[in-house]
Amino acid sequence: MGEKFHEELKELQREFCECGTFSTLMLKDAFEALKAGDTDLAADVNARKKILSARSDYFDERLLTLIALHQPMAQDLRTIICTLKMNTALYRIGRYGKDIAILVPDFAASGHLGRMLNLPYMADLVFSMIDDTLEAYRSGDISLISDFSGRDDRVDDLRYSVFREGITYMMEDPRNIGRCMDYVMIARYLERCGDHCCSMAEKIHYMVTGEKVDIS
Amino acid sequence: MTETAIISTKDLNLYYGDHHALQDIDISFARNRVTALIGPSGCGKSTLIRCFNRMNDLVDNARVQGQILYDGEDIASSRTDVVEIRKRIGMVFQKPNPFPKSIYENVAYGPRVHGVRDKKTLDAIVEKSLKDAALWDEVKDRLHASALGLSGGQQQRLCIARTLAVEPEVILMDEPCSALDPIATAKIEDLVKDLKKRYTVIMVTHNMQQAARSSDYTGFMYLGKLIEFGETPQIFEAPSEQLTENYVTGRFG
Repeated sequence: MGEKFHEELKELQREFCECGTFSTLMLKDAFEALKAGDTDLAADVNARKKILSARSDYFDERLLTLIALHQPMAQDLRTIICTLKMNTALYRIGRYGKDIAILVPDFAASGHLGRMLNLPYMADLVFSMIDDTLEAYRSGDISLISDFSGRDDRVDDLRYSVFREGITYMMEDPRNIGRCMDYVMIARYLERCGDHCCSMAEKIHYMVTGEKVDIS
Repeated sequence: MTETAIISTKDLNLYYGDHHALQDIDISFARNRVTALIGPSGCGKSTLIRCFNRMNDLVDNARVQGQILYDGEDIASSRTDVVEIRKRIGMVFQKPNPFPKSIYENVAYGPRVHGVRDKKTLDAIVEKSLKDAALWDEVKDRLHASALGLSGGQQQRLCIARTLAVEPEVILMDEPCSALDPIATAKIEDLVKDLKKRYTVIMVTHNMQQAARSSDYTGFMYLGKLIEFGETPQIFEAPSEQLTENYVTGRFG
């Protein structure tokens, strides 16, 4: 296990950060498309799912090869395991982007209800968690993820309030049911993305420090 | 370490002439556990385990200071019965070194030296030792053939059987697999796992994966010092010392 291995691992991490940005952008673009009712952008996000899947497979394979050929130890091993786990989480986040994108046509004709039950605020919280996760992975700065427990609590609370508010609208007027159900689903997707960030944060913390922490 | 120590050292220092080969080593080896010692060449791993059965006595200018406690008794002192110590602390070397005798005689040699004469008793010891060394099935039909006709891996297991024949408590292994192919290595590693039920194994190895696979505890040595000692998963997943980290990730060594 010499310099070549360490160079390869570093290069792979760099590529992986780019790929993380790709997944994140799927989620962010999907949400932009949702807000603006932009069906073209939504279709574009939906089309990216193939690339997302191919990239995820690519990293799985590269990482497995590194393990098989080099039997890495200590921080190298922790980095590879962290990257593998993050690969799955970021794939899921990209897929949630696609899930949101395919709901966009529902709103194209009808427009949104009020301020979308606070979903944009919830989305901003989740996006900042994803950005901080990727930056912490890139730089090893775990202070960026140290407050994830509290941030995730806020995201969970917002999901609950979207759910409650959605029910109110639905009871008020059954014509709201379609859109509100979509909002509730979207809140659920965003909340899951927040959970993925917490689990990635645990892995990053372990990668950097060697200590296991519980963030939930 | 909460387990009971069978061998421990206190402020152990060893000099080869002017060369300070072991520096202030404090280490404990748990009974019925496998402990691996890793570190780059010349770091003192072999020197350390050779202290335990007084092999360094054979080196002219070697000087030992400090304590080596075996079951609470200091075995570094000149009053120690070295033959008795070597019976209780057996050793297996890097290259298999069977005697140029039959398989049977290789194993029976030790018990004979220690006074066993009865043929039946010797037969029983030979069979049990070969079984314990996972070699019996392969050689039971040719016990009186020359040991030198065995493959390298079989010869190494024969050497382990020879060690077991005198019923030691501790088995020191100095790179027991470095001259073996992967299959023979895997057999020895499996054997080590079985041996720890009844023996304490201390193993020096250059193969980190081997240390990771076979041991319960791992000590990392560097330039004559014990840098870090801990449970094996911790040493290989999350070592606390930067030097250990650098070594196990192959950044030097």
